[in-house]
Amino acid sequence: MISTFMGLETAKRGLSTSQGALYTTGNNVANANTLGYSRQRVNLIQTSGFPTVGLNSPRVAGQIGTGVAAETVQRIRDSFLDAQYRTQSNKIGYYGAMSESLTKMEGVMNEPKDSGLAATMEKFWNSLQGLTANTENSGAREVVASTGVMVADTLNYYYNSLTSVQTDISNQINVKANEINTLISSIDQLNQQISKVEPHGYIPNDLYDKRDVLVDNLSQLVSIKVNNVIPTDYGRASDVATGLYNIELMQEDGSSFAPPINLVSVNQTGMVGTSKVEVSHDKTTGMVDGLKFGSRTLTDYKFSGELSGLIKSFGYKKADGTIGGAYPDMLKKLDNMTTAFVNEFNAIHKQGYALGDDNTSTLNFFELEPGKSAAQSIKVNGEIVKNPTKIAAGGKSGGASGDNENAKLLADLKKKAFSEYSTKDQNSDELTGSFDTYYSGIIGKLGVDSQSAQKNLSNSVVLAASVNQNRESVSSVSLDEEMTDMIKFQQAYNASARMMTMMDEMLDKIINGMGTVGR
Amino acid sequence: MRITQSMLTNNMLSNLSSSYEKMSKLQEQVSSQKKFSKPSDNPVAAMMGMGYRTNLNQIGQYQSNIAEATNWIDSTDDAIGEAVSAMQRIRELTVQGSNGTYEGEQLKTITEEIKQLKEHLITLGDTQIGGKYIFNGQNTNVRPSSVKDGNGNTVYGTGDINLEVFSGISLKINTDGSNTFGDALASGGSIDQTIDALENGGDVSGMLEGLDATINTFLGMQAQVGARQNRIELMTDRLKQQEVFATEILSKNEDVDIEKAIMDLTTQESVHSAALSIGAKIMQPSLLDFLR
Repeated sequence: MISTFMGLETAKRGLSTSQGALYTTGNNVANANTLGYSRQRVNLIQTSGFPTVGLNSPRVAGQIGTGVAAETVQRIRDSFLDAQYRTQSNKIGYYGAMSESLTKMEGVMNEPKDSGLAATMEKFWNSLQGLTANTENSGAREVVASTGVMVADTLNYYYNSLTSVQTDISNQINVKANEINTLISSIDQLNQQISKVEPHGYIPNDLYDKRDVLVDNLSQLVSIKVNNVIPTDYGRASDVATGLYNIELMQEDGSSFAPPINLVSVNQTGMVGTSKVEVSHDKTTGMVDGLKFGSRTLTDYKFSGELSGLIKSFGYKKADGTIGGAYPDMLKKLDNMTTAFVNEFNAIHKQGYALGDDNTSTLNFFELEPGKSAAQSIKVNGEIVKNPTKIAAGGKSGGASGDNENAKLLADLKKKAFSEYSTKDQNSDELTGSFDTYYSGIIGKLGVDSQSAQKNLSNSVVLAASVNQNRESVSSVSLDEEMTDMIKFQQAYNASARMMTMMDEMLDKIINGMGTVGR
Repeated sequence: MRITQSMLTNNMLSNLSSSYEKMSKLQEQVSSQKKFSKPSDNPVAAMMGMGYRTNLNQIGQYQSNIAEATNWIDSTDDAIGEAVSAMQRIRELTVQGSNGTYEGEQLKTITEEIKQLKEHLITLGDTQIGGKYIFNGQNTNVRPSSVKDGNGNTVYGTGDINLEVFSGISLKINTDGSNTFGDALASGGSIDQTIDALENGGDVSGMLEGLDATINTFLGMQAQVGARQNRIELMTDRLKQQEVFATEILSKNEDVDIEKAIMDLTTQESVHSAALSIGAKIMQPSLLDFLR
């Protein structure tokens, strides 16, 4: 026999399940604009039919359904899209940091503009040409001295501005390292919370969402790979439980370090721990000379993300002891160029004769401070600034007023290739072409590097946006859809209630309307 | 594909911001009149631009060097031209004096005039431009006539003054004073001999040959200066052409085509307002508006 009240029970299940579904719909609507929220779905299942098979089971026709139950509330999300998104956001982090620091560098160099080094050098060369035309003119000499000062000032300015941007980047590196550590410990904490909920068969969707947002953020800072681990001894975990996140630091090319570096480690038995990042700097140069992850120290920065972009801009000590990085490179180039130019200019200057002088000049036109960077310390000799008649424009003993032979040699330095310098043995091997062409080459390379970083950045942004679009397509809340669901579940609820009423009327019939024959 | 409100909003936002970005780029182009502002906007053009600027600047500098050279050479030409006239006057006077029909007093006047003309030649030898003595070699701040040797002859300074007037081409802008005036002003030279002959009754007509030789020296120098003037003119023309060419290249490389930029900006503006109005239309309605 089927129980008299079975229908009531079925209707009751219908009511409470629809109610649950409506509450979930309400939660979806409420969180429509919550960052990282994935829409949730109530998985409905039929409850088992009556009667179940057994020795004493009543002999009735077939199995009759007993209604509905909410099995799980699951978030709708595609972990494959998450991985795709994180790859792109990692590139955004790297190229974003790169393009920003290179754009700042372009801002400092300020080329091609009228106030850049190229324009200042032009003024200097012009002043030397002016000197060849008016050697006896103290005005022309003053101009040479003062444009020389401008050249020195411009180089000093470049050095100081570049190093101050570099300092900013160094601060950013520390901030980002802290951010990474905070994210790692937050993810670790969420893992722990999740590990306390899942074994009970619950699905902590809110914790999953929070953890995924943190992992998204972390992926922008360093390249990572997420592995879901469900520990073997894990209670009554549901089939749809996500498990714990093991987060591994990956190389740029997507392969693991050997041995692997886990930022958050989880194994089959449960939580193991975290590896925080620590940035260490070289004592003498101040460059980054290693990254400590837990007990491991990386000296090659073969991972991607914002941290790596910042380190590769700021400068780092390579395994062979040399310094790499965008800012140190630029400073080194400026230095080499300045040193070569100053040495040659001084050498030529010292061959010449100052006005009315019988002996070759003993003065250096430009002075460098030993032990300091050339671009940082270049200045025009104070004696020449004070008394420009000491500029050695003459090529012959006596320093006749119209003797412009040495001034011409100085002006000709503009077109002279570094390889033709009499002081070339002191030059760096990297110097090619003349001062002007070498410098415009530096600017050209900076332009290309910065452009390619920007292009890569905007490509990654577009790709990330498209992946994110796919992700949203799967996970984000559609209000129209929720409204439709709302109507659907509301009507189901109403219908279950109507069933309940019908059952009531049926029972009323049995209780009050039956057994009254002959009354 | 399932589309949700947040996707529409995100899309709309990213479209709007890219549209703003394009507008700001165009606006910058229109206001700066330059196609690019940073090397990374167009690395090749920026690098070329630096080269073109150097080129243009060099042309400008050569032009000012040429102006200086022209100044020197024109002044030299004037001075020599005057010297030639003075010499011709001396020759005329000598011819007059050789006639034998002049009285002693008249010969004295002639002699006096020749002496004055010689003084004039000395002044010409001291010609200055901008405070520089142009016939005194590299000693441009010394008056040539103030330096005499044991015989009382003017000692002109030596040394060439060269200016670069074109890439790798230097031009000598001064003229050797002793080669030019030395002969005429030498004590015992043709003028002094003529004066001596006039004062002491020598063979005056025999002096003409010497005077002619002196005139020829000046003419020879004038021809040289003329040749240099021609060369300078040629250079000036060539530089002018190059300046036009270099300016044009520079402009083509980095200047904005203003009509195009404004057209683009206007187009972008209308695209932007279309994006805004479509966004406003799409975002508004939802099923909510139609449910009771």
